[in-house]
Amino acid sequence: MIHGELPQENAATGALRELFGAAAVPARITYGHNRECSIDVSEPEFDLAIPYLASRKFVLISLFCVEGFRKEAQYSLLYVFERKGSILILVRNLTGNRTTSIASVFPSATWPERECRDGFGIEFDGAFDTRRLFLHETFPAGFHPLKKTVPDTPVKTSDTISTAEEYPFRKMSGEGIYQVPVGPVHAGIIEPGHFRFSVIGETVFNLEIRMFYTHRGIEKLAEGKDPRDAIKIAEAVSGDESAANATAFCMAVERLSCITVPDRAWYLRTVFCESERICSHLGDLSGMLTDVAFALGASQFAVLRELMFRENEKLSGSRFLRGMLCIGGVSRDIPDDTLAGFREFLVQFRKQYKVGLSIVLSTPSVIDRFSTTGVIKKQLLRPLNITGPAARASGGRVDVRVNHPYGIYDRFVPKPQPLKDGDVLARFTVKAAEIMDSLDLLEQLLAAIPEGSVRSEEPVQDGHALALVESARGQSLCWIRIKDKKIDRYKVRTASYCNWLAIEHAVPGNIIADFPVINKSLNLSYAGTDL
Amino acid sequence: MVNAFSCLVKKKVTETRPIPGEEIEKLGREIKREIDSRFGHSLAIRELDAGSDNAAEIELNNLSNAFYDVERFGITFVASPRHADVLIVTGAVTHNMEIAARKTYDAMPSPKFVVAVGDDACDGGIYKGTYAVRGGVDTVLPVDLKIPGNPPTPVQILTGLLALMQKAKNKS
Repeated sequence: MIHGELPQENAATGALRELFGAAAVPARITYGHNRECSIDVSEPEFDLAIPYLASRKFVLISLFCVEGFRKEAQYSLLYVFERKGSILILVRNLTGNRTTSIASVFPSATWPERECRDGFGIEFDGAFDTRRLFLHETFPAGFHPLKKTVPDTPVKTSDTISTAEEYPFRKMSGEGIYQVPVGPVHAGIIEPGHFRFSVIGETVFNLEIRMFYTHRGIEKLAEGKDPRDAIKIAEAVSGDESAANATAFCMAVERLSCITVPDRAWYLRTVFCESERICSHLGDLSGMLTDVAFALGASQFAVLRELMFRENEKLSGSRFLRGMLCIGGVSRDIPDDTLAGFREFLVQFRKQYKVGLSIVLSTPSVIDRFSTTGVIKKQLLRPLNITGPAARASGGRVDVRVNHPYGIYDRFVPKPQPLKDGDVLARFTVKAAEIMDSLDLLEQLLAAIPEGSVRSEEPVQDGHALALVESARGQSLCWIRIKDKKIDRYKVRTASYCNWLAIEHAVPGNIIADFPVINKSLNLSYAGTDL
Repeated sequence: MVNAFSCLVKKKVTETRPIPGEEIEKLGREIKREIDSRFGHSLAIRELDAGSDNAAEIELNNLSNAFYDVERFGITFVASPRHADVLIVTGAVTHNMEIAARKTYDAMPSPKFVVAVGDDACDGGIYKGTYAVRGGVDTVLPVDLKIPGNPPTPVQILTGLLALMQKAKNKS
């Protein structure tokens, strides 16, 4: 942490100056390695800051609890805000386990507050939703697994759920409204989640989602581990985002330990992350086409995706690029002829991709199904903190690679092309364009990759740091605190966690048969949400 | 407007399949032979994610892409456990999925087989002994075969399915 002078005037420091006075600012703020400002606030200051930040269009991108972060308080809540590429963290130190909710001002606090309640037993007064989140009904009452006093050992859960204990979905009533419950086990080969549709005729009137069926205790699992042994945990957050989440994890540890990653390692990491983005987007394009029964187009992209997986295997030995990231760089170098082979592959790949895309874009029946389906309105982006391609398809100019460049993205700048319509077609088009953009980036990276070492052996130190990366689905946030060389707290918030709530707004008004394609167009990771 | 004549003379929209590996073809032929003789030409698989990180799901989906196209060997992925011969379970079984996993298994008609796919499904993997999971699939359901891997590749999954067919033969 750096104390003292402001590194740069930005929206966050400006807000703090107005809130707490110019004199108080330099003395109280600490700056993270991401140039994020962090400030401890008293309750009256917090109450003052929240409406102010809301009026200044700050977005609440994360809220989480840390135990033992400050000596004077057992629990500290960290509220992470973003505005125009600047990050502001308000640290609220709690006396006891009761505090106030901000979910009515910042709706994106709803899930995190429920999460803090499940994890640490913190009660939020004034919260409009106090149902459990990641601990479902079978977990015993009063069990809060993220507390330091609770060991990470097997728990006795109940085998049945009585009718009285069933999760209370929001009640929808009215003439002709009926319910369609779907999940957690779905018809396809996909992850588990529950969708509760309230339908009038064929049209969805309301959709409520319930997640966290694959809650595996990732955050607790990392605690007490040597950071070098925990990368496989970061990779397991979500299979198709292994490289992105591992990059975020490594970046946070490197920042708090002041480790400098060699240039060649950053090139390789960026190659992995962009390849991963291409794989993920190809799966989405293929999936969207499958869901409108256009098999010809779907199989084009599925073939390309398989080819890309095979290239991943050639590069890293893993089709999901696992085991390559390590703290300080990458675990092993990739020979130049392998990289040259990959470069040649990409030339062919690009040609084939263009053919596939032209088939789709010249098929009116596909365009007809995509267009005006599942619209996400732009005004939802900020309150719900919608991120990634989903936000860019609704006119949002958000991309961590551009707004908070990390690694070598300041030298290799992606060119996101936001669209305005916010429908399935816009998301399809944005993702299709991003594949081309990633191909351009890969081309430039492979042409310019320098010689040199791929790993720094500097030691891990104690401290805490925040890292943001742009995964295929959008902004992925990772906050790590290391104490006595071991992980004390690992907080992950993937893009899916933010975007899931968007689907509740995108689906109503559409017919139920369009739900799969809307869901696929957002391509949300259940595992990355449930942790 | 579609001209009926042009449909006759126009070249058909088709292309050659990507050249599959001989390994897959050989494996496929063997599986098909087993399925034909034991399962009446069709093996119906229901997939259940009981706490996976979605990598295994991606590989299972990949079995249907043009490189593997396992339907030609008689393998189909079905939408309901009531139509299934085999339940493929991925992930360490979480407490939040445990009841659903049991219900899915109970809904299958007998005889039925359970295959655990991936390291976490085999024995709990990195989640073994933690608060959120029950453990490997065998802590909840009777498992007939385990296919390890993080995640196993499509070829490894196919190899596993062949082993299951042979096991089923010995069992009966």
